[in-house]
Amino acid sequence: MVVIGLGSPFLTDDSVGPRVVRELAREEYPGVRFVEAHAGGLLLLEELSGTRGAIIIDALLDEGLSPGEVVVSGIEGASHNAACSHDCGLTEALDIGRTMGMPLPDDTDISLVAVVAKDVTTFSEALTPEVETAVQRACTAVRSILARRHAGSPAEAP
Amino acid sequence: MNQRITIDPITRLEGHGRIEIFLDDAGEVVSAYFQVPELRGFESFCVGRQSEEMPNITNRICGVCPEAHHIAAAKALDEMFGAPCLPAAVRIRELIYSAFFVTDHTTHFYCLGGPDFIVGPDAPKEERNILGVIRKVGLDAGKEVIACRARNHGLIKKLGGRGVHLCGALPGGWSVAVTPEIAEEARQIARQNIEFALFSLETFHQIVLGNEAYRDLVMGDLYAHQTYSMGTVDADNAPNFYDGTIRVVDPAGNELTRYRPQKYLDHIAEHVEPWSYVKFPYLKKIGWKGFVDGPESGVYQATPLARLNVADRMATPRAQAEFERFFDAFGCRGTGPGGRNRPVHHRLATHWARLVELLYAAERMQELADHPELCDPNVRQIVSYRAGVGIGSVEAPRGTLTHHYSCDERGILTSVNLVVGTTNNNAPIGMSIAKAAKGLIHNGVVNDGILNRVEMAFRLYDPCCSCATHAIGTAPLEITIRRAGVGTILDRISRGC
Repeated sequence: MVVIGLGSPFLTDDSVGPRVVRELAREEYPGVRFVEAHAGGLLLLEELSGTRGAIIIDALLDEGLSPGEVVVSGIEGASHNAACSHDCGLTEALDIGRTMGMPLPDDTDISLVAVVAKDVTTFSEALTPEVETAVQRACTAVRSILARRHAGSPAEAP
Repeated sequence: MNQRITIDPITRLEGHGRIEIFLDDAGEVVSAYFQVPELRGFESFCVGRQSEEMPNITNRICGVCPEAHHIAAAKALDEMFGAPCLPAAVRIRELIYSAFFVTDHTTHFYCLGGPDFIVGPDAPKEERNILGVIRKVGLDAGKEVIACRARNHGLIKKLGGRGVHLCGALPGGWSVAVTPEIAEEARQIARQNIEFALFSLETFHQIVLGNEAYRDLVMGDLYAHQTYSMGTVDADNAPNFYDGTIRVVDPAGNELTRYRPQKYLDHIAEHVEPWSYVKFPYLKKIGWKGFVDGPESGVYQATPLARLNVADRMATPRAQAEFERFFDAFGCRGTGPGGRNRPVHHRLATHWARLVELLYAAERMQELADHPELCDPNVRQIVSYRAGVGIGSVEAPRGTLTHHYSCDERGILTSVNLVVGTTNNNAPIGMSIAKAAKGLIHNGVVNDGILNRVEMAFRLYDPCCSCATHAIGTAPLEITIRRAGVGTILDRISRGC
């Protein structure tokens, strides 16, 4: 099981993914690997290879939602929306990996935890207050998924 | 009726960019612009920081070339602290850097630039991607693309302390020595990389140059520009990605100038246009004459093609053979001034030049991995703060990259200037787009295949527009066609990533 926090540490709310991962990495989760990453696509594929499940935490830009809202979804919900402009999107990367027989988790074993960002363009190492308050809620969402996976898959104990 | 066509954001470009094409009443192209709504302010953000943080801060400028920024920053610190880098640390830095070139050029050829040729410029856009490439070149080749990236990323992680955003650079050195086990692993990886690079070149020869239509595209006039070329070379005038002097040759192949990177401000100036955030560097000695070709225009390119144009040879044997094959194909080998090669101006040949560089990087990895000095444990030195200036330069995959810092006696940064690879090519990118648009769009007829061929004009430069952020969310990819003046939307076409 891998938990991936995506984002730049220097772009205000974009750093929320790595921040959540740092919080959770202090806790004991046997069999869970925590990763800070910055880009999706094929680089993400390398992190997903050989795992049976994944949780990806990232900032979300959505004008229809309020900054700080935490959105949990499966990979299906992110189809064709998870963009990495350098190589390909997450779903395309998974398609490529599966086409080539890489050991990758099923779509149903990949969860997305997204925090609605307010600002991802200002250079700062601090989150905006709205997103700062969402960190613990995002951590709770990840813990909840880890616990559920544990219940459903005793062979891969969190 | 005037029309305005916008391609925004451009597909398979690192970062976000926008192409604007203006049509006159007859539907002919009047002008075209390449715009980058880029994140700005990184230089300001760094002022006031401890200078030794720079390798770890600037490697976050971009998710694609962190190694280039990390190493350029380290070289700037060497100078700022007055601490020439220890020999073993130089080897480690260059080994990492060569592995990075292998991954970066592999990604561009197979994921970004290659689909246009291997799948075809007019193929449905759903197929013009890496999956389409894999279908064409075979599953085993696709596996090797992924494996090549993974093994080199793994090596960079071991040598650099962290995946992607490595953290090994110190002023005058490197934080961890290389063990014999890692050196052996690097040797094996280098051997695999050489095989992969040779395979990639053969693929290019068979699929691209073996196809008359593609060959005409590469060697035709549509994507040709006669500008100056810039690149870093060693004492034998072979390209060197890590260190050397910067050489500039004119469109005929005469050397205009060569200089230490520290003198860049004596040779490069920047032109500003009101419609772009990104400046347009040009050669001071020639001057800015606008977006025009020729020896009287100070426009230059700094790309893989430019690096081959400024070189007299390659430093490794297999790359040298491919270098000769490259210039032979264009009838340019030994036909320039003083018996040197005439520059190749067909910009789509940049894809080919990139593969020659891929092979050189792989061979250079092998040389470095075999070098007995690589495992010397003496990789760190004690340095002291002092007020001063540091300028570090490397050849990034997309062009010459320069980091220029000033700091006070406490090592606090007082100014930061970064000239990144893509910035060098800002003017030629715009010129290539305009020429392709004028050659392809007539009577107002625009379709996906035509727009893709216009996009190919910038894709060949592998531009990287500081993509420091990303999001799980909607990524709109649209072409909007507007009526000039009033801005009325005439048509809107959604495009896939």
